[in-house]
Amino acid sequence: MSAVSTIPTRADSYAPGRMKLTRSFVTVVFSTMVLLIACLVFAPSSVSWGALSGSLPFAAIIAIVGLGQLMVVQQGGFDLSLPGAVSLAVVVSTHYPQQNDGLLYQAVLLALAFNLTIGFLNGALVSIFRLNSIIATIGTNALLYATVFAMSGGVPSVTTGLLANIAGGETFGLPNAVYFALGATALVSFMLKKTVGGRRFEAIGASPAAGEAAGLRVRSYQMMAYVYAQLFYCLAGVLIAGITREPTAFQGDSLLLPSVAVVVLGGTSLLGGRGFPISTVLAAFFLNQLSQFALSVGVPYSAQTIIQALALGFGIGVYSLRWSGKVRKTT
Amino acid sequence: MNYANLKKGLAVSVATAVIALGGAGLAKAETPSWCGPKKATLALLDGYGGNSWRQVTTASGKQTVELCPSITKYEYADGQGDTQKAISDIKGMAAKGVDALVVFGDAGPAMLPAITSVFKAGKIIVPYRVAVGGKEGMNYSKFIGSSFENDGVTWGKWIKGVLPKGGNVLFLSGPAGNSQGLDELKGLKSVLGPEYVFVNQAPFAVTNWDPALTQKVLTAEIAKNAKIDVIVSDFGPSLVGALPAFTKQGKSIPALATSDGNSLGCFWQDNHASNPDFKLFTVATGNDNVRLAVQWAVALATGGEKPKEQIFEAPAYEDSVSGKPNAVQCRKDLPGAIYMSSALKPEDQAKAVGQ
Repeated sequence: MSAVSTIPTRADSYAPGRMKLTRSFVTVVFSTMVLLIACLVFAPSSVSWGALSGSLPFAAIIAIVGLGQLMVVQQGGFDLSLPGAVSLAVVVSTHYPQQNDGLLYQAVLLALAFNLTIGFLNGALVSIFRLNSIIATIGTNALLYATVFAMSGGVPSVTTGLLANIAGGETFGLPNAVYFALGATALVSFMLKKTVGGRRFEAIGASPAAGEAAGLRVRSYQMMAYVYAQLFYCLAGVLIAGITREPTAFQGDSLLLPSVAVVVLGGTSLLGGRGFPISTVLAAFFLNQLSQFALSVGVPYSAQTIIQALALGFGIGVYSLRWSGKVRKTT
Repeated sequence: MNYANLKKGLAVSVATAVIALGGAGLAKAETPSWCGPKKATLALLDGYGGNSWRQVTTASGKQTVELCPSITKYEYADGQGDTQKAISDIKGMAAKGVDALVVFGDAGPAMLPAITSVFKAGKIIVPYRVAVGGKEGMNYSKFIGSSFENDGVTWGKWIKGVLPKGGNVLFLSGPAGNSQGLDELKGLKSVLGPEYVFVNQAPFAVTNWDPALTQKVLTAEIAKNAKIDVIVSDFGPSLVGALPAFTKQGKSIPALATSDGNSLGCFWQDNHASNPDFKLFTVATGNDNVRLAVQWAVALATGGEKPKEQIFEAPAYEDSVSGKPNAVQCRKDLPGAIYMSSALKPEDQAKAVGQ
């Protein structure tokens, strides 16, 4: 597509002649390979099929919220309303039906409605009213949690059987949540890389001014980033509600940091621009496998935390290694 | 409305009034010994009130207060997990002139200065369940702790009963280093000899009492340990989502020693037939700890008789093997997030948790 070559972005992101194997992809694959080898050597149980099928749904969740966060980061923003958005989707899809399968589709639609409303609100605050995205989304996060409390009183509720089967079940030996994550990845990759709208979305992320000059509707693209993000948070929330039998009302809290981490590990610049959905999803697998590795090694909790920090440092450090040849030294 | 309907309606109202008045009379007749004649006001202060366990506890506290007509006013404040707010709640209640305060000091020793200042101002203050440090009579009127070590001993004895030859034990507790988990472990170790191997990392596998994290942790532990004979957990209901991980890995759910919860009881009823090793033993989850604390506070504030118990010991509650003191309880028509062991009626708990 001709639009590709006109997008202003960091030149080094494009390896000449091979569009598919970007640096970020190679890095994440390499890091994941190293981690898997470490798992095989030090904690073989963490890569046993049983452990993988138990932990993959959580990797899928991180991947899905990562894709949402990716959209926002591509527009140079941060979405801190993620915890509230995911928790609200969890609460709506468990509290509204009260274990009645018949009400599940209504609950999911209701969750979607909530998330979309918040998405538009976030988007409007950032793109139209020009609020800093961090400030705007912290505010909406508080709003979301107010709704969470209003609906649930902070009390967990048991999920419906149907949702547990859909989100927590397995098809052809793979957890269903993984298919959702793969579907979401395929969708995002296609939309971003193969449609005119997606190319424009990336171009605007890289330089809103250039987008404006090119006559693109910059504000609406920026706004839609927050709306798309909410769609993914909603999906993640509904899936958590099915995977965890009795999810708490604060299930989104632990997802904010991983969502940003996988975007960064996936190689997307926090300044916005080009996004790497496939690398982001692989990074989610990496991050999840990392915590399983730390758990399986059987070391004290403090050491688990250190292992995770070191491996994350390693993951990011690999970038610097490959950089070192090209990057000029700062004085 | 025709005359017959009016008559019926009237009859129903009269009957209701009679029952209500009769009930009030009955309650009055049963004024407990810890309720003295002196008039007083009481406040219940929570550090964090946002889960079903707390809501059932709060409702239990309120119900206990209502048994004593000498308490003219009852108030409640929720610190919402914010230590600063919890501290200002305590000071605010004292400044408002409340005579007796019952405090769940989630933040632990960080609450002690506020508690001490209120005590020094001449109020009755009874912290409960979470140790806040300090001394009785110097920092507060009375501390009503819960013997978590006792829970550990109770579990340990049951484990010895079902696994007399020893076996692999997996112990799960909340956040890293929480004192409840450490006390429970002390109790467990006092009963279980070296033939019982703890397969988790010392002192316990960290779950933060979060069902999602519990699921991840359990998955890793199942994969790592070929044989887990018994799981000990201090928050049973958070295991419900995680236990199917055994089935997924082609194993039977093992014996489980934990605290009770409606969702757990129902899970056992649904799954024990297909999991031959799945035996369940629970101790009462301890909502009634608040009752003893309230009784002490009321006794001290109204000049009533002091209760005999000084520490709350959670009784054994369910045992799927012996059926004593209870068989496994499950009420499918009520929310999963209630606790059948609580003295508060299950229907009232359902109301308290807003479902």
